[in-house]
Amino acid sequence: MNKKNGFIALLLLAVMMFVAACGNEKDGSTEPEKDTGKETSGEETTIEFWTMQLQPTFTDYIQGVIDDFEEQNPTIKIDWLDVPAADLDKKILTAVSSKTAPDVVNLNPTFASRLASLDALVNMDEALTDEQKALYVKGAWEANELNGNIFAIPWYLSTEVTLNNKAIYEEAGLDPESPATTYEEAKEYSKIIKEKTGKYGYYPSLDLSLVLQHMVVMGAELTNEDRTKAAFNTAEGLKAFEYFTELYEEKLIPSDALTGDQRNTIDMYQAGQVAFFAGSQFISQIKENAPDIYENTLPSGAITGDSGKKTMSVQNIVVPSQSKNQEAAVQFALFLTNAENQLAFTKLTPILPSALEALDDPYFTEVGEDAEPSDLVRIKSAEQLVDAELLVPPMENYDELREAMLDALSESMLGNKTPQEALDQAEEAWNAILSK
Amino acid sequence: MRTNKLTPYLFLLPGCAILGAFIFYPMIQAIWMSLTDYNMITDPNYIALENYEKLFQDDLFWKTLKNTFIYVIGVVPALVIIPIFMAVLVNQNLKGIGFFRSAYYIPVVTSLVVAGIAWDWVYKENGLLNYILELVGVLTEPIPWLSSTDTAIFAVMIVTIWKGLGYYMIIYLAGLQSIPHELYEAAQIDGANWWKQMTKITIPMLMPFVLIVTIMSSIAGMKVFEEIYVMTGGGPLHSSETLVFYIYKEAFDRLNMGYASAAGVVLFLLTLVFSLINIKVMGKDKTV
Repeated sequence: MNKKNGFIALLLLAVMMFVAACGNEKDGSTEPEKDTGKETSGEETTIEFWTMQLQPTFTDYIQGVIDDFEEQNPTIKIDWLDVPAADLDKKILTAVSSKTAPDVVNLNPTFASRLASLDALVNMDEALTDEQKALYVKGAWEANELNGNIFAIPWYLSTEVTLNNKAIYEEAGLDPESPATTYEEAKEYSKIIKEKTGKYGYYPSLDLSLVLQHMVVMGAELTNEDRTKAAFNTAEGLKAFEYFTELYEEKLIPSDALTGDQRNTIDMYQAGQVAFFAGSQFISQIKENAPDIYENTLPSGAITGDSGKKTMSVQNIVVPSQSKNQEAAVQFALFLTNAENQLAFTKLTPILPSALEALDDPYFTEVGEDAEPSDLVRIKSAEQLVDAELLVPPMENYDELREAMLDALSESMLGNKTPQEALDQAEEAWNAILSK
Repeated sequence: MRTNKLTPYLFLLPGCAILGAFIFYPMIQAIWMSLTDYNMITDPNYIALENYEKLFQDDLFWKTLKNTFIYVIGVVPALVIIPIFMAVLVNQNLKGIGFFRSAYYIPVVTSLVVAGIAWDWVYKENGLLNYILELVGVLTEPIPWLSSTDTAIFAVMIVTIWKGLGYYMIIYLAGLQSIPHELYEAAQIDGANWWKQMTKITIPMLMPFVLIVTIMSSIAGMKVFEEIYVMTGGGPLHSSETLVFYIYKEAFDRLNMGYASAAGVVLFLLTLVFSLINIKVMGKDKTV
């Protein structure tokens, strides 16, 4: 009996040791964190670099940049890992929480701002010189501002370009050469298209931050200057709520708009059931999946509202503050985002560089004889960049704010509340979240 | 003699170590985390029961809890009853029955994300379901299955049921094949018809399996996540948001790991109570 108990104790001990070993690893790795930056002067430094779903399409390009960098900096070695887009958030979180964060990561501003609000990212405002900062498109640089810090270096950009299906325009008796440019026009066109063809005209996605973006474009301010109070309960805000409610009630947009993600919008455009939507970033996908629709696609400027504002999306490079090689990491981030490397990258896919010098290249200004829809998207997108800005700035508790707005708008669209009541609800919810 | 006593424990050791490291340790960790303000990045601070207080005051938490119960009530009976009949059906000695067994099992091994996207197409306003219903004249106008607060959660339930049927069918099939054939022969001699045999032999003999399936399917129903994540995102207006989706959102979208852990602990307790009730109630039935 005693022997048996003794053995159980041994067994427990074994399990506990195993478990304790898991725990210790975490504590062990916290120590070297303190001598940040010192290792860069040592023999060889290894930088861990994570990208968001760039393999296999851009493997050669990224590897080329890495090889060039390693050649110029023989003491720095780059360890590249490509992570599927859907896993990146979780993977970086796990890495940060176990104190094994990589040194350089490609993140979007929304997620990066969440890390930044917890001081997990290096402040680029301090890490870069004024000359270095001046190399980037101003709007893109400012897009990464949170509480006075700049938490990332902008990498590649895009502005919203409307894709128009010429065939549907013609079927409805509309001129594809004068596509809808404002929300009002978009609605008028949708009515005509629905009536004449039974198809949908404009399909604005309400996924992610897009509701907030539509509101800003329509002229509403989201918050006051110091982001402590909601500021959208105005005539412009109401107009936005009324606009989407009317589209929904008059069945000018599919009912799936309420719960569907952006995939839904692209699917329907590719199936030839939607005449126009903001989808420049999906042009390559459309080319591959629906070549007929692609051939019939005419890109045009972003649909705007009273503000005349145009939106810019930014992809970033961040350096987590846990990085033990911050200096080398920033050095690599600057190399990766320099004009030459960005220009080479943008020639592979319809994106825009964040480096000002690269934007001067004729590639972004001159339409060739045999221009395809994807070339037109690029030129249009570049043309709008001067006026474009990040319309929904990084905000603390962003996800809650976004959800509160979508909830309120859904109440109005489903007819549970009037647009004004829904707007009041959103304002109240935002004030509660912003005062946290 | 001595080695004989040691051997069983040595066999248990790897299993215990793995369970300990990957199940029990995280479980205890989660209970601890629920008492802190952990956000995955900065060090956790102990805040006692603050997370629980906040949780019980959150209307959305109660709504997701209610949705979870609706889900379990909708899904479990279907997953307990329908597979019995499917199992009886594929238990026949017919030619090509293997094909049907695999056919029913295919949804089980299909990735839920893929299935979710496919079902999404079925449910769309211009999807297959509305098309068929309009074709046969049941509907004059498409129903927004996934975008209406009245139907979204039920539409997703169908997917969970569709996906689970094959799995539970296999469990019942194993049960059916363990029932001695003599019982049916004796019943036939006594003149029992198919229905009598089903209710007097098959179902009573299957009770232990019904118990397993009830527990497993109710736990699965409480943990439902992927279908909702892929198909509705919890919407519209949180009408299809279940507790696990809520936990996921709080943990990974908002980094409120401590708060999400508190909700996780509540889910754990509910699942535990559910299983205990099941064992108590069904355990009695078994002796009948």
